[in-house]
Amino acid sequence: MSSVLIKNESRLGLKLVAPAVGIIGLLVIYPILFNIYLSFFDVQLNGTKTFVGMENYTDLLGNPRYFHSIGVSVIYLIGTVVGTTVLGLAAAILMNQEFRFRNLARGLILLPYFAPVISVVFGWQFIFDPVNGIYNHVVVDVLHLTDTRENLIGNPDSALFVVILFDIWKHFPIAYLLFLAKLQSVPKDLYEAAAIDGQNAWGRFWHVTLPELRFVIATVVLLRIIWNLNRFEDVYLLAPNVETLPIFTYYQAFAGIVDQGVAAAISVIQLLVLVGLIWLYVRKVLKW
Amino acid sequence: MSSVILRNVNKSYGNLPIVKNLNLEVKDGEFVVLVGPSGCGKSTTLRMVAGLEDITQGEIQIGKRAINDLPPHKRNIAMVFQNYALYPHMSVRENIVFGLKKSGADAETIKQKLADVSEMLKLDDYLDRKPADLSGGQRQRVAMGRALARDADVYLFDEPLSNLDAKLRHHMRTEIARIQHQYNMTAIYVTHDQIEAMTLGDRVVVMRDGIVEQVGTPMEIYLQPTNTFVATFIGSPAMNLIEAEIEGEDLVFDNYRLPAAKIANVDLQDLKSHDTVLVGIRPDFFEDSALSLKRSPSDNLFEFNDIQVELVENLGFDKEIMFKLGGEDAKARLDLRSHVKRQENISMSVDLNRVLLFDTSPQGMLLNAGEV
Repeated sequence: MSSVLIKNESRLGLKLVAPAVGIIGLLVIYPILFNIYLSFFDVQLNGTKTFVGMENYTDLLGNPRYFHSIGVSVIYLIGTVVGTTVLGLAAAILMNQEFRFRNLARGLILLPYFAPVISVVFGWQFIFDPVNGIYNHVVVDVLHLTDTRENLIGNPDSALFVVILFDIWKHFPIAYLLFLAKLQSVPKDLYEAAAIDGQNAWGRFWHVTLPELRFVIATVVLLRIIWNLNRFEDVYLLAPNVETLPIFTYYQAFAGIVDQGVAAAISVIQLLVLVGLIWLYVRKVLKW
Repeated sequence: MSSVILRNVNKSYGNLPIVKNLNLEVKDGEFVVLVGPSGCGKSTTLRMVAGLEDITQGEIQIGKRAINDLPPHKRNIAMVFQNYALYPHMSVRENIVFGLKKSGADAETIKQKLADVSEMLKLDDYLDRKPADLSGGQRQRVAMGRALARDADVYLFDEPLSNLDAKLRHHMRTEIARIQHQYNMTAIYVTHDQIEAMTLGDRVVVMRDGIVEQVGTPMEIYLQPTNTFVATFIGSPAMNLIEAEIEGEDLVFDNYRLPAAKIANVDLQDLKSHDTVLVGIRPDFFEDSALSLKRSPSDNLFEFNDIQVELVENLGFDKEIMFKLGGEDAKARLDLRSHVKRQENISMSVDLNRVLLFDTSPQGMLLNAGEV
């Protein structure tokens, strides 16, 4: 190609990506940079800023609530990531079998993922309502497992597990969908070969299904970590007393004693962690 | 090693029968080839032996065990798949020893078997590669190695060479024959390639539409096909079948009168009950009369004079010529010394001992009896 053509081509390319770059710059890059900038200031609500150097960071590292929220986030992450992956895998394997109404069942499984958060959150709150909820009704009145009605969502310790359950239920369909798509492309003769090589159903799952799914599993796990490290609305709407990192950040930035500088510092740290995870994802998973 | 017995085996999908009342005994150490066109039920039969398909009716026995209700992983069989079915995440080495390990072989045996198999199939240089980094021929060899490493009662081959190019296919065919003799293994081999069937099988089972048409040694199938389907399916180019009228003791078509009495093993009385018969002559049995090769007074030759050559295909050693017999397209295979040319009129001779007669029923049953 002549140099004129190459030049024209690259000029056109620039024009084509310019709008996208502009939007990303405005909505992503600018806030990130501004956020990093803010994290070195004491920010008042009226807009006055005083440079404080690393003080926001040192404050944060001295705040036990910060570390408590990290602990809650870690439990939340492990519970939700493992839960959605395992449940998604089980559902995908089940839905990969032949049975009547399979297509209908395959569709129905996706429903929690489609449902708007706000409506299902109210449903879940109602389930665990200490007075009228079906959970307490079944546990106390029907099964007589215990005498006392528990307010599972009201208690931050148990609420964490309700929030984890809710996230698993709401988000396992995306894992299921990715697994099912891959399962359908596993050659049938691999299972046949494994059977002939003496493997029973469990051996075939272990030696054929899992290795075939390996990269999809890695993708699902990493995506779920990235999503749930930032997950705010599900947790805040269902049980605002469960203080994961995003919720803690929100309280710092917008509620009670507003301290946007500290909130910015939390975000910066969280951003660094996320960038690390994305780097891992791109290097180890996408580049297989 | 073990024998394999199929007794009145049926397979159907819903109301659609795939295999109909199949009976077959594969002896210990015997190599049996199932051959037939697509959809004839040969692969289904193999997969029933493997346990990958249910048996609708009948019984299959490996050795003394009835295996109808045994899942594949308990049948102690080894199988080579058409698309190889190698485990993509395992190296060649791991693929080969995977089944062996599972069968509980000790480390020393595994090492020995791996060394044997990789040497025999020339896989030494690839042992640490993944299947994705191998060519088609190499993958095929790994699939063979995986089966051969096993100490199985019976080895099953499901069109293992059909994805290879012609040269490699020929090479692997010879390899399989060599290995089979070396190991003396009981094997069932499915193919639609009649050359594989002829060259590999101790016995060949020709199938069509779920029915066994003929079981026999390759030469029996070639020289004494029981009906016109087997006659035309085995052998390439296909056997010429020419409709002839019966006049007295002669078989008449075009200007030719073939003396039925000189055709081997034909019951003249029986023949006279037919009005017409199909005369079967393999293209290989024509000779260019101009060459007068291999003739001796004892030869029982019939001359086809004034044959007009329509086309000559030169294949190197052979040339195939096309002409008309009894109004139909016919082929002959002559050797390289023949100098026939297109549009020429030539004479060709056929040994009447090699001529077969079939009745004109839809089945086209062979009328020659006994050994040819």
